[in-house]
Amino acid sequence: MSNHPAVTATTKAEDKIYADVYDVLMAGMVISNILFVAGLAFALIHPHFIPLTRAYVLRNYQWDAIVHGLASFRPITIMMAATLLLILTPVSRVLISIYAFHAGGDHKYMIVTGIVFVVIVVTVLLGLLGLR
Amino acid sequence: MLVVAAVVAGFFGALLGVGGGIFIVPVMVLMFHLPMKIAVAASLVSVIATSNAGGSSYVDQRITNLRLGMFLEIATTIGALSGSVLALYLNDWLMLVIFAAMLAYMGYAAFATRNVDDARIAANDFARAHQDRLSAYLDLHGSYHDEAANRTVDYVVTGAPLGASIAYLAGLASGLLGVGGGVLKVSAMNNYMNVPMKVAVGTSKLMIGVTAAVGSILFFMAGLIHFYVVAPVAVGTTLGATAGTIVMNRLHSAALKWIFAALIVYLAYGMFAKALLLRFSVHLPALA
Repeated sequence: MSNHPAVTATTKAEDKIYADVYDVLMAGMVISNILFVAGLAFALIHPHFIPLTRAYVLRNYQWDAIVHGLASFRPITIMMAATLLLILTPVSRVLISIYAFHAGGDHKYMIVTGIVFVVIVVTVLLGLLGLR
Repeated sequence: MLVVAAVVAGFFGALLGVGGGIFIVPVMVLMFHLPMKIAVAASLVSVIATSNAGGSSYVDQRITNLRLGMFLEIATTIGALSGSVLALYLNDWLMLVIFAAMLAYMGYAAFATRNVDDARIAANDFARAHQDRLSAYLDLHGSYHDEAANRTVDYVVTGAPLGASIAYLAGLASGLLGVGGGVLKVSAMNNYMNVPMKVAVGTSKLMIGVTAAVGSILFFMAGLIHFYVVAPVAVGTTLGATAGTIVMNRLHSAALKWIFAALIVYLAYGMFAKALLLRFSVHLPALA
């Protein structure tokens, strides 16, 4: 028999953490899939040739292109929004977990999860600094 | 066509207990002739989608060990960052060779790995391990309700340093090749960290999402994520994975292993042949 003192079922605080993580994952999955399907539908309604180049993709990373694209239901902008939302879902899960561990008084895992978030931030900074 | 291919890839991925990336990357490269980097980038986004779908279910069932997942994510995210940076600079042909080698290892692992959890659960063996200092400091342990055994299974995690090292390699593979790395993570947790298989699978399913997100961020900012490729792949693999999960329990595991082996050999050969063509202009005979 284990002599470990804390091998037990989940506590109320733990349950809250699991519930918060689940909510974030489900919301991100549902909304991003809706946007992907919408983008594909618009692309099928108004098909046109899309070059498979980095230059074409990077051209859509301008604020006015994004705003105009969303307002006019441009398929590539909708799909870009869906992709960003999907990528941000696990990132949001990490942020929610940091808060949930803090609220539950588990500062050790607040720090562990914080380190994961720092790696994500470093990744974004490397991308911004032109690691491409 | 890409949606259909992604549905099939997601279906077989769920059927065989792996992420969609191991199938969808070769499909995009061999059938649709997409450049390796674009296929890897699209696959990474689809891994996030399947992680959200499958991971949420395991979290809801309280099978996932969140603390263990967070600890290992430190290693996997650093690995994914390393792998993605490498992928941005490596030649396509070299990535194809590494992918073929990874496929070969996964084919071997499918046959070499046997699930001996049932006997250990019956003997309450998972609760008896002696923890290393890091595992004890991080208070890594847990319990879950095993429906097949109809009992609550307690377990004590150990081997944290080795598990983290393997998790780093899994993250490296994810960022470099567009896969989830779940096979390595599950193997690390079940074989070296005293974690029951179902907990290992559930925790891995959650982890691959943030691992793939790190790689996806770099590819996104580099302009390598082509949304007209990502959208059908993400939707297709999610649909296929959902269907595969439903069917999986009705199939015999021996048949699944043979299907897996045949697919792996076919895909590994195709990826290796493409690498030879790109690098040396050598044409290998087609299998089909």
